[in-house]
Amino acid sequence: MLEIKNLTMVYPTGTVALKDVSFKVEDGEFLGVIGLSGSGKSTLLRCINRLIEPTEGQIIWNGVDVTEADQSELRNIRREIGMVFQHFNLVKRSNVITNVLSGRLGYTPPAWSLINRFNRADREKAIQVLERLGIPEKAHNRADSLSGGQQQRVGIARALMQDPKMILADEPVASLDPVLAHSILGSLETLNQEDGITVMCSLHFLDLVQRYSTKVIGLRDGHLVFEGSKEDVQKIDDERFKDIYGEEAERLGA
Amino acid sequence: MTETTEIQRSSSPLHAILSLIIPGAGQVFAGQIVRGISILAATLILGFLSIWTSAQRARFPDMGVSARIFVIVLLQCLALLALLLIVRYLILRSMQDDASADAASRGILGVGYIAIILIASRPIMDLAGHTPGMLEIYETTLLLAAASLAGLWLWQSNDAALLGAGNPAGSWTPAILVGTLLILSLGWSITGIDISKAISEFSDTQVILRRIVWPWRTAFEYDIDTVESQARIQAPCPPGAIGPEVNEPLVGEAWISVTPTCGDMTVSDNTGTTLGTELTITGGGFEPGQVVEVLWKNPIGNPFTPRGVGETEITISPDGTFVSSLNIPLALVADTAEGAQLHTLVIRQESNEVFTGRLSDQMNLALVGILESIMIGLMATFFGIILAFPVSFLAARNLMMPIMSKTGGVVGGFVGLVPGIWAAIIGTQYVISLFGGLEQAPIIIAIIMVILFLGLGGLGWRLGAWIISQLIEALPVSIGRGVIGFSFAALAATPGYLLGLGFSRGILSIPLSVEVAAVNEQTYAIIGAVILGVAGAAFGYFSGNEGEVSIGALVYAVTRTILNIVRSIEPIIWALVAVIWVGLGPFAGTIALTLHTIAALGKLYSESIESIDPGPIEALQATGANRLQTIVYAVVPQILPPFISFTIYRWDINVRMSTIIGAVGGGGIGFILIQWIRLFQYDAVGLGVWLIAVTVALLDFVSSNIRARYV
Repeated sequence: MLEIKNLTMVYPTGTVALKDVSFKVEDGEFLGVIGLSGSGKSTLLRCINRLIEPTEGQIIWNGVDVTEADQSELRNIRREIGMVFQHFNLVKRSNVITNVLSGRLGYTPPAWSLINRFNRADREKAIQVLERLGIPEKAHNRADSLSGGQQQRVGIARALMQDPKMILADEPVASLDPVLAHSILGSLETLNQEDGITVMCSLHFLDLVQRYSTKVIGLRDGHLVFEGSKEDVQKIDDERFKDIYGEEAERLGA
Repeated sequence: MTETTEIQRSSSPLHAILSLIIPGAGQVFAGQIVRGISILAATLILGFLSIWTSAQRARFPDMGVSARIFVIVLLQCLALLALLLIVRYLILRSMQDDASADAASRGILGVGYIAIILIASRPIMDLAGHTPGMLEIYETTLLLAAASLAGLWLWQSNDAALLGAGNPAGSWTPAILVGTLLILSLGWSITGIDISKAISEFSDTQVILRRIVWPWRTAFEYDIDTVESQARIQAPCPPGAIGPEVNEPLVGEAWISVTPTCGDMTVSDNTGTTLGTELTITGGGFEPGQVVEVLWKNPIGNPFTPRGVGETEITISPDGTFVSSLNIPLALVADTAEGAQLHTLVIRQESNEVFTGRLSDQMNLALVGILESIMIGLMATFFGIILAFPVSFLAARNLMMPIMSKTGGVVGGFVGLVPGIWAAIIGTQYVISLFGGLEQAPIIIAIIMVILFLGLGGLGWRLGAWIISQLIEALPVSIGRGVIGFSFAALAATPGYLLGLGFSRGILSIPLSVEVAAVNEQTYAIIGAVILGVAGAAFGYFSGNEGEVSIGALVYAVTRTILNIVRSIEPIIWALVAVIWVGLGPFAGTIALTLHTIAALGKLYSESIESIDPGPIEALQATGANRLQTIVYAVVPQILPPFISFTIYRWDINVRMSTIIGAVGGGGIGFILIQWIRLFQYDAVGLGVWLIAVTVALLDFVSSNIRARYV
């Protein structure tokens, strides 16, 4: 279980990205995070595994305060939490299998990884993961030779190598077309439902949130302005919509 | 004409006059203070530069004379320009408000500006009563500079007039154009550009160029084929002597026949010269069309060219024969010789040089030199890569900046570093003694040394950081702050002391006596230590144990500074140092190039690290990878292509550099080349130049191929 308590993040430039944000994520949930660009979604996700150091507040992951962890404790927490990115963040020149295997680095003795060695079990696991995501034939292609959707699958495969209890997905479909978006979110949904991996996913489109999330939070200018179940999301009316997305926002296709 | 243009045309004479007297004053008066000050500064700088340049170029003994002349020229230019402006005004009036008239008058202004100044200013200077001598050395370009300054002066006066009348600030373009003209004309003068000389005396280069451009004859050894034939003559000729036998013509080889074979030598005394007996020389079997040389051998056998008694060089007719005549010359005969002596007439023909296929000594030297140069470049690149690679990570902003450390940890680290390094030094000494001297196994010892320093230094740092951190956490907060403040004071005071010492030794000590210098040294060193110490104490106290220091930023700054200093010193200067260090030869060149390569590649590498995509780093950190793993998996694959590219580029540079580094004793072909240049052996110089050109071309070919294949 993940519990965020009074999380505040102020950038050195003085920008307040998150202000006093508190919420809980139960195990096995698919949490959608909505909000405009700049509302603090990415910052929130990155604070959870401390890619960004929060200024104040606590992040309790399965009873451990992430903000208090030292470097080696932090690495152990991080390897339990996979992360998927909007721009995939693959090493473009490396081949797919290496990118996938790099998800295993948290479990690999550093000396071994220096000479590019993973054990047999890891290699087999990487192939299995790729098979599960439907791209085993791409294992030895260079990452940048893949299409956007395939690259995001490699990104998910890398996260899966961590045997994660939770996956943080930072706008995983924002760079993809609608068809691919459903296919990628479908993969995340499968992992959520079959493997019981908690998913925390920031999304732009409300219809995607309504389709996939079991719970939703909304951020606006760093403040938590919405928290509700799947049903609550279905019931979002224009009034509520404007609370989250601002006065000038118009609802499309609703 | 509309009203707005009417307003734009209006101008304020007061502001114009103010600016005419002091450049920029009108603008300041009109409220444009920055503009005014910029104009004043630009005018002063350009004016001073012009006067100084004319003082240098004209070799006037003092700036005063130069300044006076320059001011006179400047005033003339101003007067002429004013004249031109009046012409423009008249044109504009006569043609009424017409855009084309405006353009035409501007054109006239521009062309007339330069033309009149160039043509008219000299005669006017004469009128002003200067001696012709001064005028002659006052160059046209300097006149142009003065004219430009005058243009600038008028422009800013006009600018002030417009501003004063409430117009918006105009464009800087005219000022920039005129200013550029001024600087270019000064540059022309300072660099001593002389186009007429360059054209008229170009032919002088032929002597050298021809030999350098095609030096290949020098590359090989040639044998000279000599055809020689002799005849014997008796001189003096006592009565009744008949002399040696006359040679008979031969078939298939060179022959000469001389008649008579007995005669008297030429005698010279106070009364004059009496020519000796005339000999008729016929010969055959020589190379047709070529010249033969006539030599006379005295009885002892010493040959000389008999001058003044006949032809000394004879051209052979197409059938290989010749006929010539020669009076027996005066040949020295040994004092002890008695009676008639036998002399020898030699006809010698040096035919075409015969190609042997053997390389000449010079070519051999050049080949050895170029090989040495290539190897110097190769070794310097090799060592450069090895050393620049780790350094480049320390000099990459994006990797170093996030490395933060708690203040207590930094203090403890430095405290622990001291015994760590000390232990490493002791360890190195022990290892050296174990091997029985550094020269026994230098490479192994060097590797062990690096491991010892990194390992023990790092261990010391970690241990110190841990102990001090624990200690401070155990102490009450205020005491902890005090301890950290004190430690930072001590840490900062050391470089402060050294800086103070360096400042007093390097800058201040020159005029001081030794005793005073010693006292001053300590004073300045202590002042430096106190300043930085207090700053350090304040920082340490106020940040406390919770404060963080970007230790990465410190390492980054120090590494970058060192790299920049080393890189800004040219390899040829490093070679001078290295020659004193390890002596003349290729090793010195290798050291010089290695130092420069480390700095240059370190910078290029680190910049390519800085420009990588940060996404994968973030992604790998999120997987729980540690710093080293992140570098191996996210950074290295991204920087490999630029690293290969930069390395090849540097190899290319190093080989080219190694060819000139020899000029200061760094070995390689430059070492030989500079000697040939000093001996005026331009053929050999040409060989060297050719070999360098071929090497560079080959290298370029190879490196572009490698680049195309792997990058």
